[in-house]
Amino acid sequence: MAKIDLARLSVTEANKLIRKYGAEGENVDVLNPDAKHHIGVGLVHPINVRVHGSAGYFCAGLSDGARFEVENNVGWGLADNMLTGSIVVRGNAGAIAAVAIRGAEVIVHGNIGSRAGQVMKEGTLLCAGNANFMAGYMMYGGRIVILGQSGEKVGQDMTGGTLYVAGKVNSLGTDAKQIDLESDEDDEIREMLERYQIPFNGSFQKIVNAGEKLHYSRNEPRSRSQSFFMASGTSDYWNAKVQTDIDIKAQIGRYRIRGYGATRALPHLADLAFRKDLSQIPADGEVTKKIDLKTEIGARNGAEPIKLSMPVMIAPMSYGALSKSAKLALARASALSGISENTGEGGMMDEQREAADQLIYQCLSGRLGWNIHDMQRANGLEIYISQGAKPGLGGQLMAKKVTEEIARIRGIPAGIDLRSPSRHPDVLGADDLVIKVEEFREATGHRIPVSVKLGAGRVRDDIKIAFKDGFDFVELDGLQGSTGAAGNEVLEYVGIPTLSAIQEAMDALGEVGGVEEMPVVLMGGIKDGLDAAKAIALGAHAVAFGTAAIIAGGCIACLQCHVGQCVVGIATQDPEHEKRYQTNVEAENIHRFLEGVRWQLATIAVAHGYDDIHQLDRNDLVALTPEAAAITGLPYEPGYRDTKPQATRKAS
Amino acid sequence: MCGIAGIMYKRNTMDAGVGNALIAMLDGCQHRGPDSTGFALYHEPQPGLLRLRFFVGDEERTEDRITRIKAKLAEFQAEIVDESRDGTTYRVQVKFSGDLKAFSYAMEHVAKVVSIGESLDIIKDIGGAHDVDATYKVDSFEGSHGIGHVRLATESDVAPEASHPFWATGFADIAIVHNGQITNYWKMRRRLEKHGFEFNTDNDSELIAVYLAEKLSNGISLRDALEDSIEDMDGTFSFLVSTKDEIGYAKDNLAAKPMVKYEDDDIIAIASEEVSLNRLFPGKPLNTVEPPPGTFNTWQKSI
Ligand SMILES: Cc1cc2nc3c(=O)[nH]c(=O)nc-3n(C[C@H](O)[C@H](O)[C@H](O)COP(=O)(O)O)c2cc1C
Repeated sequence: MAKIDLARLSVTEANKLIRKYGAEGENVDVLNPDAKHHIGVGLVHPINVRVHGSAGYFCAGLSDGARFEVENNVGWGLADNMLTGSIVVRGNAGAIAAVAIRGAEVIVHGNIGSRAGQVMKEGTLLCAGNANFMAGYMMYGGRIVILGQSGEKVGQDMTGGTLYVAGKVNSLGTDAKQIDLESDEDDEIREMLERYQIPFNGSFQKIVNAGEKLHYSRNEPRSRSQSFFMASGTSDYWNAKVQTDIDIKAQIGRYRIRGYGATRALPHLADLAFRKDLSQIPADGEVTKKIDLKTEIGARNGAEPIKLSMPVMIAPMSYGALSKSAKLALARASALSGISENTGEGGMMDEQREAADQLIYQCLSGRLGWNIHDMQRANGLEIYISQGAKPGLGGQLMAKKVTEEIARIRGIPAGIDLRSPSRHPDVLGADDLVIKVEEFREATGHRIPVSVKLGAGRVRDDIKIAFKDGFDFVELDGLQGSTGAAGNEVLEYVGIPTLSAIQEAMDALGEVGGVEEMPVVLMGGIKDGLDAAKAIALGAHAVAFGTAAIIAGGCIACLQCHVGQCVVGIATQDPEHEKRYQTNVEAENIHRFLEGVRWQLATIAVAHGYDDIHQLDRNDLVALTPEAAAITGLPYEPGYRDTKPQATRKAS
Repeated sequence: MCGIAGIMYKRNTMDAGVGNALIAMLDGCQHRGPDSTGFALYHEPQPGLLRLRFFVGDEERTEDRITRIKAKLAEFQAEIVDESRDGTTYRVQVKFSGDLKAFSYAMEHVAKVVSIGESLDIIKDIGGAHDVDATYKVDSFEGSHGIGHVRLATESDVAPEASHPFWATGFADIAIVHNGQITNYWKMRRRLEKHGFEFNTDNDSELIAVYLAEKLSNGISLRDALEDSIEDMDGTFSFLVSTKDEIGYAKDNLAAKPMVKYEDDDIIAIASEEVSLNRLFPGKPLNTVEPPPGTFNTWQKSI
């Protein structure tokens, strides 16, 4: 037994030691824990850890295989995302005990706080005392056993899994119902109680999902495919797309779900121009050799930065929304071009990890496909708060795409219309977010950058929070950003344009003195190197391509991504459709597109006489419309709209 | 965006180490709010005397500000018996026996008031618990109870006047620390403004303080006022309130903000996280309770 005294060591030092003892197979005693946070986080070895006292937030979080014992109480987020192993708590547990567990056994002798077992996938939470409010909230699988009272709204919006309550059921949550217990279930619970020496001779009431909310009652019909670019037509109020919207709503009686982003005309990067007359620049095949576009990002807190050959990333897009083949094409293309790929929601694939050189791993509210092992092999960890296409809402994946394979990786039941939660179980404010970010850093030895993905809403405030909470960088996504599936009105109207987003972000960073310290990666309607260069001139450190990358990789923009029958094999999980996708060919296509971006970036920077792309500056730009001028504060110079050099242009 | 803490010593005493206890508890949860720290402390009341503390800054205009404060005090025949300059504040004790609400609104109009009360003294400034202590000497403070706050400034500036605790503007001796967000803030504020109450910040914590103080001044008990507050206020909140001889808490129906409580024969202590409570008893596992959603409670000084 090794002894670790938290009166002498910091939690970070202690966790390092615990992991070292773990690798050596030695058990650990933790002394003087005094309710400190993150004890045992990130441990992946099957040792015994005994905490002599109380532990704070996220005790045993993001761990796999160890057996923990805590002699007294624990704080919020006990055993967060624990894969296998067990933890026995002799006292009480705070809110969200066993949040997002995927197979562990979590035993609490005392009471448990609110929202116990939120988004858990597998495993058991056993509480010998009383539960609080909303036990089993949004759980996807596994079981929760409560020997005392259930608390109010037990099983609120659960999808799968089972709750067994021996005491009073105070009230059932929405979409939960009480049914009879099978005798073998009862035997299994009693076996477990005996194993953990918890005396009990009462009986259980069983609570499961009532099946009212797992599916939309009607799905979007297959409609005649209509090009996104036709859809974005000339008028914002009556056009061919509005017609289709109304047709669909008449059939399904609710909002229309679709892929892609806002079709409305919005102020954008195209409303800016470089003062420099780019049409006069001679084409130079060698220009990329004349400037160094290399960009590093994520070293703000001493982590190993993400290394990009140019200030460009692939935007996070989920395996689920996209087929495995499409994700692999993106991963390969990213490696060929020396940039980064991002898992998006729904987990990491082995092949993707291998194919991508730099891979960012995204953590969403449902913790779908999230686990310590993939965290440790990522190059970046990203907390998704929201995205430009649908700020404030969680991911959406329609039943057709929730196949057995996708469901297994995500840890959810197959064949449901998946609507991931709109907020994280353990992030209800900037103060909680600090503790969450620290958990990720602890779990990965402070080695991997942690970023945040933000949809553009209250950008000024959000960026300041991100800065305060110590994120290594921000991925900022404007209203024009696309998605695999979201409600049409949200896509069109919620959020602020990409142009406003970057301006607000830079203003906010200016106010807190963070411009140099915390880089912003901009996305949302960025279609080429020219847009990318303008974004960088406005202050973005890099940009990301979503739509442009998938179009380069074969997408025909038919707006049917949510249906799951994508004819080119991109937005589908149907093997028959996916067969059509030629991964290697499309990887080369995406790569070629990215190299075109590189050439444009290099050309623009060299034309300005710069030797570093980040020397591009907002003073290099003018606004072509009054709206763009008002948003960015750039001078309104409509004369620059003229493509004919010099003729009408006066020096400004 | 923050952490809160409060403590009351139940023995009938004014010599418990409240200052040190609050420093330890707030230092324990400083990760929740590194930008500023504040304390609401209660001195032994001296009949007929009122304590006032003002933000006066520490630059050139400070002297002007103090002059203006003194002129206003004189106008209300508030005779200064004691005064000092600490950090960015000016503290006075005055003889006063008029209409407190009118007096304090008038003071608010000429200066930034931190707190007014027979016994209340709010000390708050930029920095951690130990930084604020270094300037204001909180550690030596002895009394029976107090509350405190650590703040993470996000939307608004890092400024002393944006830190907590908040005084219930216009009502002596009532202070609030709050973690969360009141979403029907403007609706409730307009309702109170219609009844003639004034607000000096747009901070929802000030609203809670004035809301409760209004009820107390109408003879409603703190318990009943807290019970009403859970129904009347929308949003996510965990807050602590203190008066001359009571402390209490309330927690919203969704339990979105943390709160842990420890009680024994000698003390009641409440904090955002157990790690703060454990600072009072290093190395000792505590028997703590997380108050359920939608609950409140109060504790009175034994007399
Ligand atoms: C098919 C698809 C799936 C997406 N999945 C995710 C996701 O899982 N997580 C996320 O943060 N953003 C997701 N996004 C949004 C992109 O990361 C990005 O914000 C957006 O595509 C940028 O705008 P652009 O498409 O105009 O380049 C997705 C977008 C698409 C098109």
